[in-house]
Amino acid sequence: MDAKRFAALAAAYGGDLRRWPEAERMAGTIFAASEAGEAILKHAGTLDARLDSYRVDAPGKALHGSIQQAAGRHLIQRRRQRFWWLGLGLAGIGLAGAVAGLALVTVVTPEVQPDHYVLDANVTAFGDTGPDRDTIEEDL
Amino acid sequence: MAADPDEELVRRVGAGDPAAVQTLVARKLPRILALAVRMLGDAAEAEDVAQETFVRIWRHASGWRYGNARFDTWVHRVTLNLCYDRLRRRREWVTDEVPDVADPAPLPDAHPGEEDHRVKQALQGIAPRQREAIILVYYQEMSNIEAAATLQISVDALESLLARGRRSLQTILTRDDADE
Repeated sequence: MDAKRFAALAAAYGGDLRRWPEAERMAGTIFAASEAGEAILKHAGTLDARLDSYRVDAPGKALHGSIQQAAGRHLIQRRRQRFWWLGLGLAGIGLAGAVAGLALVTVVTPEVQPDHYVLDANVTAFGDTGPDRDTIEEDL
Repeated sequence: MAADPDEELVRRVGAGDPAAVQTLVARKLPRILALAVRMLGDAAEAEDVAQETFVRIWRHASGWRYGNARFDTWVHRVTLNLCYDRLRRRREWVTDEVPDVADPAPLPDAHPGEEDHRVKQALQGIAPRQREAIILVYYQEMSNIEAAATLQISVDALESLLARGRRSLQTILTRDDADE
């Protein structure tokens, strides 16, 4: 690593090599031992020290609490939604089953016989019980 | 890409595990709040941003898929977008001409003369993009690759933002020192 690259990295990432790109940290550490490297890091470290002074307070209990509460509300809402979708899914499956059943019945059931045949007084489940046509002819 | 250290926790949050919710809040809230405070320079607004960020986390946790970005990178991106919304709104509220230079007057909760408040004001005085880069690398301790991914820029562009940002901060702080 040359002085130009070392200075560019210090100008961007500051004087603490732990913030430098991992791939250039080793070469940077070697150059930092030189007089020029030391001076560059010292200069960058001045701004680092000032930046370090700006601390932010840790989150308060109230903020923690309100975020947890919001999470609880969200979880309950999601559980309700899940049940709602489950119910809707079951209703959909039921409806689909009913439609499929209806379609099956329509396809499988034999065609309804004409009224005049059904109403024929001589027809039973065992066939036509009316007088045998041949017998009638013989009788004649 | 290395394994995401938050992946398992986010999966449990997505499954509705209350213990995981608590752990995630404890792990991420300090980082999210610190990022928003430094971006906005206003603690109350930063708390609002932190709450909004978590609402988005709860909403997306169940659908979160590792692969596109690390969870922490996504959270930082969400927080920064919410901060930008607020910064834009601030600008819109200024009905007259927008000043080119940040108002040098102390912020409402500033204590003049204290070093941390000088730095806070100086940070507010530089371009938001430079501020983002410095906060991510310096205060959030992100690697250059993570910070560049969060800002959706190349590492070279990040280095340029960082260098310009630090130069601007140095100029503002040196001017403040001379004014004292």
